[in-house]
Amino acid sequence: MTANYLIGLREGLEASLIVVLLMAYLIKTGRRHLIPRVWMGVALAIAISLGFGALLTFGPRGLTFEAQEAIGGGLSIVAVALVTWMVFWMARTARSLGGELRSQVDKAADGAAWGLVVVAALAVGREGLETALFIWAAAQATGETTLPLLGALLGLLTAAGLGYLLHRGVLKVNLGRFFTWTGVGLIIIAGGVLAYGIHDLQEAGILPGLNNLAFDVSAAIPPSSWYGTLLKGTLNFSPATTWLEAAAWLLYVIPVLFLYIRANRSAPPQASRKTSTTAVTAHP
Amino acid sequence: MFLPASSSPKLRRTLAVIGAAAAVPLVLAGCTDNTKTTGATDGPIQVSSTANECKVSTGTAPSGNLTFAVKNEGTEVTEFYLLAEDGLRILGEVENIGPGITRNLVVTAPAGKYNTACKPGMQGEGIRASFEVTESGTKPSVDADFQKLLDNGSQQYAAYVKDQTEQLIVGTKAFAEAFAAGDAGKARDLYASTRMHWERIEPVAESFGDLDPKLDAREADLEPGQEWTGWHRAEKDLFPPAEYTAMTPAERTAISTQLVADTEDLVTRTRTVELTPDKLGNGAKELLDEVATGKVTGEEEIWSHTDLWDFQANVDGARIAFENLRPALEQKDAELAQSLDEKFTALQTELKKHAKGDGFVYYNELSQEQVQQLAALVDSLGEPLSKLTAAVVL
Ligand SMILES: [Cu+2]
Repeated sequence: MTANYLIGLREGLEASLIVVLLMAYLIKTGRRHLIPRVWMGVALAIAISLGFGALLTFGPRGLTFEAQEAIGGGLSIVAVALVTWMVFWMARTARSLGGELRSQVDKAADGAAWGLVVVAALAVGREGLETALFIWAAAQATGETTLPLLGALLGLLTAAGLGYLLHRGVLKVNLGRFFTWTGVGLIIIAGGVLAYGIHDLQEAGILPGLNNLAFDVSAAIPPSSWYGTLLKGTLNFSPATTWLEAAAWLLYVIPVLFLYIRANRSAPPQASRKTSTTAVTAHP
Repeated sequence: MFLPASSSPKLRRTLAVIGAAAAVPLVLAGCTDNTKTTGATDGPIQVSSTANECKVSTGTAPSGNLTFAVKNEGTEVTEFYLLAEDGLRILGEVENIGPGITRNLVVTAPAGKYNTACKPGMQGEGIRASFEVTESGTKPSVDADFQKLLDNGSQQYAAYVKDQTEQLIVGTKAFAEAFAAGDAGKARDLYASTRMHWERIEPVAESFGDLDPKLDAREADLEPGQEWTGWHRAEKDLFPPAEYTAMTPAERTAISTQLVADTEDLVTRTRTVELTPDKLGNGAKELLDEVATGKVTGEEEIWSHTDLWDFQANVDGARIAFENLRPALEQKDAELAQSLDEKFTALQTELKKHAKGDGFVYYNELSQEQVQQLAALVDSLGEPLSKLTAAVVL
């Protein structure tokens, strides 16, 4: 029961964190009306995942292991690209808040918000297939006992609850800090997603180096423990990380964070009109 | 590698299309029949994972699609892996098997030796056991992944050919210059090592029927009226037998110029030659046949006695072709791959015994037993090598 609960919690957290940060951002920038699009993406991902899970379990054809890993890994990498784009898009629109270009930016934001649907769908869908397969397996096992399914569902609910609390929490943060920290948070989460995607591709044999570990702290942070679960669910931290994963994480997080912080420094969130104008035209 | 913060709809659409396009073929290519294992043992193989046991209902299964139904009867989350014999390469895995839950692993496995592993707690080496897949006769259908492995192999070999021809032309020019200038010492030094680049890719070179005799004809094989040019013409002048009349400077220059021109022609033509898996497989066999008919007998380099250089180069070329086909071969016939690997190694080990400096001893320095030993190893490699093409192409 506890173990199944932790699985639900981990998968739920992985899926909900990005969604929470996206929504908080929309609220902070007064674009509450775009939130349905995020939900649309989430709903889309859940529907596709469940349909896929059912099809693969009960349909005439299953998915080979390589394909499963390749899809998971490929989606992760696409998700990272989109999240990165969102982060910089956010940094840019945030700077123009209250600026004279507001209406123009709003127009752009309304258009770009369809990107929100895709980002939300990817963030949820990435883990969705795996979760759907787990839930089908758990549902089948309920012939013997309902405990596994119950545990997994409670885990998912807890993740949703934590997501909600986080959502409330980030809304209280002051606006200036908020933009910096959501961006930093998203970049670090995206780095984890990227590393995880690399790991999937390594397991599928598409990328080499699966057995070359950069570090292995499984003894100190067992993946089945609650703290291992939380680290994995929030940061995609793997206690046994390969060199390639570690390198991908560093090569992504360090330069992107640097560029992001520089972009924020050069034009602080509550920017004056002057800086916002230059920031928009002179964006790197 | 961040994406520009532009919100152009075009970019977004492109991204969505890339995402979809990346997923769709994978889904199609990655589908496998859900039908349960074919063969004698029907139904999935039952696996029970607990804290300290990983019980697999059978230790052998017929090749084809295997289904493992992995039930977690412990208290911790577990994982199940099917690993190659080396215990490293993953053929399939199911993660996140919570207590009380059964999840299936469907994996296509050719005949061979494997390892199963349960990882309760999702860490460490796991609880391992060996597992054997026997030949069922039902070949898994060729899928896109397999074709990709073949294509990769051909591309790698094409790159190898390109590299070898580049080294060949550089070496040939240096050799021709020394030979034309009458610097016999330098030309002799360059002779065997430069020819290795030619010998490594001989089947490709031979596919141009007109160039091979111009570059590599031996005096004994000349047809009536055929003009003798190429490497062996120079060889005879550099390692002259008794009662041989040396070439005049003009003759040497003519041979040198021709050698370089023909080699340049070869380099240009290899750039457009299309290499296919069957050409690789057959080429590897041809190279070994070359060894058996020319090198083992010491006929190829009848004056210079540098046959072992050619021998090594032919083996190199065959081995590279095999290595490039190997990922595909392992899917089709892991046993053949294993056998070829062993036999290449055995031959290479024996060949190494005759290494001397950067090169080898002269062929006429080998004893009769040593030649026989090499010949036996060539024969024993030739037998599985003749199956290579059929194994990857059919
Ligand atoms: Cu980029």
